[in-house]
Amino acid sequence: MRTRTQRLALALICAGALFPGAATYAPGTAGGASAGKPATHSVVIDGLKYDPETLTVKRGETVIWTNKDPFPHTVTAQGKFDSHDIAAGGSWKYVARTAGEYSYICTLHPNMKGMLRVE
Amino acid sequence: MKNIGIVVATALLLAAGGVAAQAPNDAQIAHIVVTANQVDIDAGKLAEKMGSTKDVRDFGKQMVTDHSGVNKQAVALVTKLKVKPEDNPTSQSLKSGGEANLKNLKTLKGNAFDKAYIDHEVAYHEQVLDAVDKTLLPSAKNEELKALITKVRPAFVAHLEHAKMLQSKM
Repeated sequence: MRTRTQRLALALICAGALFPGAATYAPGTAGGASAGKPATHSVVIDGLKYDPETLTVKRGETVIWTNKDPFPHTVTAQGKFDSHDIAAGGSWKYVARTAGEYSYICTLHPNMKGMLRVE
Repeated sequence: MKNIGIVVATALLLAAGGVAAQAPNDAQIAHIVVTANQVDIDAGKLAEKMGSTKDVRDFGKQMVTDHSGVNKQAVALVTKLKVKPEDNPTSQSLKSGGEANLKNLKTLKGNAFDKAYIDHEVAYHEQVLDAVDKTLLPSAKNEELKALITKVRPAFVAHLEHAKMLQSKM
């Protein structure tokens, strides 16, 4: 039998797990080491541009692309990662696990180019 | 095919020529934007069904999705701004040019359909971009209307490049 305090602590831990990176979910946030949890970075897709166009993250960190255009886009690094269609207003989350430089495009509008650097 | 290019060119030349004579007002520009998108949506819907290759059908489908998205935003903006889109000669020419294109496409099948559709898409997007740069953007007064046109302009560039790529493979 768990005590009431233990159960409360457990509930709080679970609540934290439901909202990972909530404290660090801001554009261009770097690091996140203070929380002991990998940071979450944001890239906004607006007017057929990835903003920021180049993003550098550390291994294990998360990147969320949010599409603010009125039609779908993709985030595609051939053979590495592919969001497939991100609907208007939708978003796509990617955990960067492997170090490297990944240039990516939108396969629907290949004039859109971005770069993800994983250190 | 050349004839259709000329119809589109004439429609948009009217728009361009309008600058000298009389620049379109915001209500007319909104109408031109919605009409230009709708014309391409209608052609795209036909290509989704009639295209003989997956590339052409996918392109048609994307035109429907992208231009519908733009129109949804355009309608939301004019509703917010309480602007009533106003019919005008440019919109009318675009509409009749679009109808002539559909009429022609409906008589075609297979490769002939694909080629006619894609040729038209190349000409159409070139002319629309020309009208955006020479008429719509310089004439638009409302900043939000201008911002919307500026924001979606790169999509038309991407569509043009995509259509040209398909054209080069035919």
